[in-house]
Amino acid sequence: MTGVISTLVEAWQELRINKVRILLALMGVALSVAALTSVVGVGNLAREGYKVQSERNGGRVATLALSVNGPTPPDPEKIEKVYQGIQQRYGITTSTHMGQTQAGFQFPRGVTPVSMTIVDIGYGTIHRVPLLQGSWFAADDGQRLAPAVVVSEAFYNQAGRPNLTTHPTVTIPGDRPATAVIIGVVPDVFPDMPPAAFILTEGAAVTGMKPQMSEFKLWVGEEQADVLMAAITADLQGQFPGYYAQANRVDYAAWGDPLAPVQLVVGGVAGLVLLLGAVGMLNISMVTVRYRVREIGIRRSFGATSGRIFVGVMMESVVATAVAGIAGVMLAVAVVKHPWIESKVAPGLTEYPAFPVDAALLGFGAAVLVGALAGAIPALVAVRVKVIDAIRF
Amino acid sequence: MEQPKETLVSLRSVTRSVTLPDEQQLHILKGIDLEVHSGDHTAIVGRSGCGKSTLLNLLGLLDVPTSGELEFLGQPADRLGNNARARLRGSTVGFVFQQFNLLPGRSALDNVITPLFYAKGREFWRRRELAMDMLDRVGLAARANTMPNMLSGGEQQRVAIARALVRRPRLILADEPTGALDVETGHSVMALLDTVATETAAALVTITHDTNVAALARACYRLDSGVLSPLALADTGVSA
Repeated sequence: MTGVISTLVEAWQELRINKVRILLALMGVALSVAALTSVVGVGNLAREGYKVQSERNGGRVATLALSVNGPTPPDPEKIEKVYQGIQQRYGITTSTHMGQTQAGFQFPRGVTPVSMTIVDIGYGTIHRVPLLQGSWFAADDGQRLAPAVVVSEAFYNQAGRPNLTTHPTVTIPGDRPATAVIIGVVPDVFPDMPPAAFILTEGAAVTGMKPQMSEFKLWVGEEQADVLMAAITADLQGQFPGYYAQANRVDYAAWGDPLAPVQLVVGGVAGLVLLLGAVGMLNISMVTVRYRVREIGIRRSFGATSGRIFVGVMMESVVATAVAGIAGVMLAVAVVKHPWIESKVAPGLTEYPAFPVDAALLGFGAAVLVGALAGAIPALVAVRVKVIDAIRF
Repeated sequence: MEQPKETLVSLRSVTRSVTLPDEQQLHILKGIDLEVHSGDHTAIVGRSGCGKSTLLNLLGLLDVPTSGELEFLGQPADRLGNNARARLRGSTVGFVFQQFNLLPGRSALDNVITPLFYAKGREFWRRRELAMDMLDRVGLAARANTMPNMLSGGEQQRVAIARALVRRPRLILADEPTGALDVETGHSVMALLDTVATETAAALVTITHDTNVAALARACYRLDSGVLSPLALADTGVSA
């Protein structure tokens, strides 16, 4: 025990004494670690931002979109029955219809066209809809006489940002005038986006909205996605002979991780920077060991074993790079968690993820590894020093 | 009745040779017989290049003989591994070098502490206190935090002596301890070494080419062309 502690104390004393030289050597390592960790951290943030954005557009992993096309449109009642049957047969619990249309809403400044998305409750889960205020549709919202709507922030602004606890209403003028209740607000997908809103299928029927195009989506486990795709396609094809029926994956990960190649390239560059830092560190360590041959000889005369000299020289390097690693990781956290960087890298996020622990561990681990490698070679040189020659050096 | 003295190092017919780059053998030590007991103060004199430092390295377990028997505290040196020799050296032998060999960039106190990094238990944990005590013994407590380059030659050698003695070695090996000092300072350094060695009952082996320094020892040997022979104090030309 004393041996381990005395080795660490000795390594720390060496660092304290040679702080200027070591600081210079470590600056490269700290910056390399900061670069490596930042790349992983920013990559993670970008991936999270991209994922949220993609999930809002295409659905969570794995989302299947069902479609049946042919020379004539299929019977809507039959297709609805088939979709429900497929859901029951394969035990799929989360699904949604999704249709797009436009409707005019009466705002204080007049009637404004609003892009409407007609959905089922499952849409909120499948598209991981983020809410700024209020709530997503509940099971009994379909029964409302005044249909519920979840609106975009642009819509909410046009409506005068009413307090949602007062159950504010907006009028939908037209052939079948109706009143809708705003129950939730979602962020705009992009800046200066025109007003948009979600309405349940039942609510759309009440107001006479008809989707111009419609699809049916299912949320299934990623592992079963391929099997289910093939089975559902065959199932649909069997029930609609003469039609082109298909179940396709529409989530962002359908063709693998789209950010992986970019992150691999940037990570490779960061790794190269780290390697250069390691070579610089090794170079300085080698020069230092040659400069310290006499000191090593003197230490051997005091009773330092070759193992102790090896561990001492190596520990000096490892302790130093571990400190540099911590500094590098702290710098990376400061960069990646900077609000400006976060807003630029992941503009779609309302809540930013915590700094990834694996990136911090990777940076710290890389620093220690560099220290061990840059320390091992000079340590081997130090062990081979002949005591008598070293003292006379 | 006087207690028999313990034999610290015993050399019997020891030789040391090295192979030169042209494959020829250079015989540095030839058939050395020497015993060092606890409390001995021995001087070995000889001209430069006669093998004095090689002999000192053998006595301090820094080197092993080419042939012959070297026993350290009754243990044959050739049966001890490198690490065992290092540990034995650390706990039993203290070196004082001609060029002081203080570690640069470290204060006098840090230099004296250094050997205690290789000690275990109380010796390691009380290293600062032990080092301060030893600096006090050599009269340098007030300069404990001074860097070696700010100390005079005599002070540096006293720090080196404190460092050599901080682990209470049973054998002190001094290689030309006054070689880099003026006569007066050299004399005071030798007196200090002699006093501290006597106080701690350690054996002191001094290697020197200075007959005045050799005259301070109680036993004296001459090393000439690798051959060791006893030398009467009268032969040194200095009155004891």
